[in-house]
Amino acid sequence: MKSRVDQVKLALQAPARLDMIEALSPRQPDLTFPDINRLRRQLESFEEEWQPVKIAVVHTYTTELLRPYWTFEALLQGFALDLYEAPYGMTLQELRPGSGLLTHQPDVTFLLLQWEDLDPRLVQPLMALPCVEREKVAEACLEHLHRLLSEFRQALPGLLVVTLLPRFFGPELGDYDVMAPDSEANFRSVFKARLAARLRDSLPAVYFNDLDTLTEEIGRLHMFDFRLWQISRFPFSVSGAQAVTRRLFCYPVLLKQSEIKCIALDADNTIWGGIVGEDGPDGIALGPDYPGSVYIAFQRRLLEFQQRGFLLALCSKNNPQDVMEILTDHPHQVLREEHFASLHVNWQPKPDNLRNIARDLNIGLESFVFVDDSPHECLAVRRQLPQVTVVKTPEQLAYLPFCLDTVPLLEIIRLTDEDRQRTVLYAQERQRRQLAATSQTLDDYLTSLQMVMTIGLDDSRHIARIAQLTQKTNQFNLTTRRYTEDEVQQFIRRPDWLVAQFSLTDIFGDSGLVGLAFFRGLTTKIAEVDTFLMSCRVIGRQAETAFLNKLLYILEGRNIASVQATYIPTAKNAMVKDFWPQHGFVATAPDTFQIDLTRWTPLESSLIDVHVHMPGHEPF
Amino acid sequence: MNHFETVRELTALTFCVSPDQIAPETVQSEIPEWDSLGHLNLMVAIEDAFNITLEIEDMTRLTSVPAILDYLKTTCTSH
Repeated sequence: MKSRVDQVKLALQAPARLDMIEALSPRQPDLTFPDINRLRRQLESFEEEWQPVKIAVVHTYTTELLRPYWTFEALLQGFALDLYEAPYGMTLQELRPGSGLLTHQPDVTFLLLQWEDLDPRLVQPLMALPCVEREKVAEACLEHLHRLLSEFRQALPGLLVVTLLPRFFGPELGDYDVMAPDSEANFRSVFKARLAARLRDSLPAVYFNDLDTLTEEIGRLHMFDFRLWQISRFPFSVSGAQAVTRRLFCYPVLLKQSEIKCIALDADNTIWGGIVGEDGPDGIALGPDYPGSVYIAFQRRLLEFQQRGFLLALCSKNNPQDVMEILTDHPHQVLREEHFASLHVNWQPKPDNLRNIARDLNIGLESFVFVDDSPHECLAVRRQLPQVTVVKTPEQLAYLPFCLDTVPLLEIIRLTDEDRQRTVLYAQERQRRQLAATSQTLDDYLTSLQMVMTIGLDDSRHIARIAQLTQKTNQFNLTTRRYTEDEVQQFIRRPDWLVAQFSLTDIFGDSGLVGLAFFRGLTTKIAEVDTFLMSCRVIGRQAETAFLNKLLYILEGRNIASVQATYIPTAKNAMVKDFWPQHGFVATAPDTFQIDLTRWTPLESSLIDVHVHMPGHEPF
Repeated sequence: MNHFETVRELTALTFCVSPDQIAPETVQSEIPEWDSLGHLNLMVAIEDAFNITLEIEDMTRLTSVPAILDYLKTTCTSH
């Protein structure tokens, strides 16, 4: 078993950044400060294309001592860091024109604040405040923070991440706190929940990162150095400093690197112990006793990762029937067939299988994390598919369930209903494909789906998903305009814009919100299509025709005389080149089209049952 | 490595300067990067490298290479 000293020795010998990451896995926050500096120096010597990133730190306690840790973390993740630190204690002052912060134009701004900043009453014991007073303090703190964050949000580009420094001490009431009706822990918990609700509802791209959970992870005694706090108001020990920077640096990584959509797993010695082809279903380690219990824990952890919106795929060199027997019949197997969005079990090389899985799921290889126990397989994938994030399972089996915990790209900063349902949606799609294979004609297939489309107009409840669709849809996208949640909110509010979205259900289930159309110019007689797109999930079912048909009907009802539309070609949207002419629009210039609604009649579609829902109105 | 060589490496690493700039007589004011905050990171580095724990008073006092070497002589056995 490798000690931390050996880990560091290996890391210092690593010839390249990815080798160093592997040598340091799984990451524990207990590198010494000299080692962090040595590793930083080593990373600086590598020939690598460092991705530039700008972060800013606004703080009400000393944070400058974190600089070497920030630099190390950035280099380890492949970045050249340009770090701006605001002067001590300055927050709103840094939003004045010409300030260092505004000049810097950071990609991510971190606000490292203290609870005491939010309200002067928090300097005294919380328990000394009567209940009614505490409620007022909570409300005042929320207001203060909300106002501060709104100012920052208006003035700065990029992501904003706010943190509150955890207490050095345990609860005022000690171990008894949890039993007290007015528990301090509960006060903070409720406060954080209320803060999160405000951020979700009204401050887009502003995130609260709970450093209390970090203190839970490494321990309050381990996290702080009270001497440094006394001398300079810098709170963190070496362990705390590396834990904080590692955690917070996930935001630049998530912002700048490709989003992960799928965790592809090997089977033998990754999700069960042993080799099923040799040991048979009764011989593999998968059960309540060690070592099988570790694999079960890992499988359960993978189900948890699935809740973040990641798909699971199986990529195994085996006879398919051997693996399917485990997935179907083994009593202790947790991950069954329906949990995997794609399964490729054969004797082909793993890089080929990963390519096939990517094609199956219609996602890029850069959105994969690949987990395997074999150094040889990991190396093959790293060499042939450098865009895949490769995680080799740890040497110490007991740490297997933790091996994905410190992959920064597996953190998330957004979670929509669609994200939560993604695996179920893929399972439904497999059922549709089976039905299509057995139907005589396309029309037969579409009719047997019994599709129902629900169109929503100017509906603020799905802003996150709407913005997500504009950012992620590449193929069925007429104009490829990318919008933030803030911008979508504005469009919904404007009377001259119409924001329309549709979801589609059929006998297999609900595909979720899968199509959008934005129209502008609704206060004139000529409306213009700003955006028209559809998720590839529902291509081939003529949903776009039903959607457009209904929208033109609605626009006609609003006295729009004609609609103008464009096709903006990109490398990926050739499939919709003729979409407008196919739907009765006439070309008025290259890639510019128009339809005269005074001479238009709606199509009768028997394939999809369309309902329109406007908030506050009855469906029609 | 003797005490000085270790201290030299740590100082060079902490302040991102060349080891040539560090001599047994070097004091804080000679190295621009060795400011009052940077000094604390050097103290933490010394603690890690020599496996010792400093008192607050020592942390603020040891602002030169001679002072650090002196302290190590009386506190640690030689490497």
